Amino acid sequence: MAFTVTSSVDGTVAKLTLAGRLDANTAREFQVEIEKVAEQRPCTVALFVHELEYMASAGIRMLVFTKQKLGSETDVYVVGAQHQIIHTLEMTGVDKSVILVDEFEPAASIQG
Amino acid sequence: MNMRTLIVPSDLSSLDLVADLVLEEAREAGLDQRETYQLRLAVDEILTNIINYGYLANGLSGQIHVHAERYDESLVITLEDTSPPYDPCQRDTARVAEDFDKPLEERQIGGLGIYFALQAVSEFRYEYRDGRNRNIFIMRRSRLTSSTTSDQQDVVHS
Repeated sequence: MAFTVTSSVDGTVAKLTLAGRLDANTAREFQVEIEKVAEQRPCTVALFVHELEYMASAGIRMLVFTKQKLGSETDVYVVGAQHQIIHTLEMTGVDKSVILVDEFEPAASIQG
Repeated sequence: MNMRTLIVPSDLSSLDLVADLVLEEAREAGLDQRETYQLRLAVDEILTNIINYGYLANGLSGQIHVHAERYDESLVITLEDTSPPYDPCQRDTARVAEDFDKPLEERQIGGLGIYFALQAVSEFRYEYRDGRNRNIFIMRRSRLTSSTTSDQQDVVHS
């Protein structure tokens, strides 16, 4: 399945939907989309990854890039990740810096 | 033993071709979902390094041979390339892992791929022989469901 990424910004919440294979060949597309939403300085970024079948280290680097681009005060949600992707995030301690959820509800989530 | 070989060019568009081979062979070999994902991850990461740092960074291009060998209890994937010798095991992955306790905004970017590769499979070996790097990934399966045949198939992409 080819990689696709789409984005929208609603107020202070940026939503990106990722599908397919996120690897070294496709990570640049993700980076371009992050740079696009970063211009609107969102407080929250939600990555919808229900249809993301694979994430290589290039994907981890993009999560690092996202945090470094937007700053530590920006919350990054990873929504609907499949088990193996969660395992990859846990292996690298990334799960401690992003918020893993099954469903994203901005108001409730931001309140914590 | 069942063996199949795929030959791909040294550019990143080959990642999908090789992933498809690994996924297909893993299914035939009876690897479970976790074993399949981990093997695919390991091969993908080393292949990415070969293409980016072995070939592209050195202004080189070439062909990478991917061998898949199915045995009674394991699937072995071997990547053979002619870029300059590089042993991934020489990478200090302990230093990479030290970063895992840091917040993302304080991390260095790099070294993760080899860390994944070495962690993901049952066994990883590196050899340099006859002018070729050989990165060998062995995934032993936890359940024995696959048949063993002795046909051979070569596929070339250029």
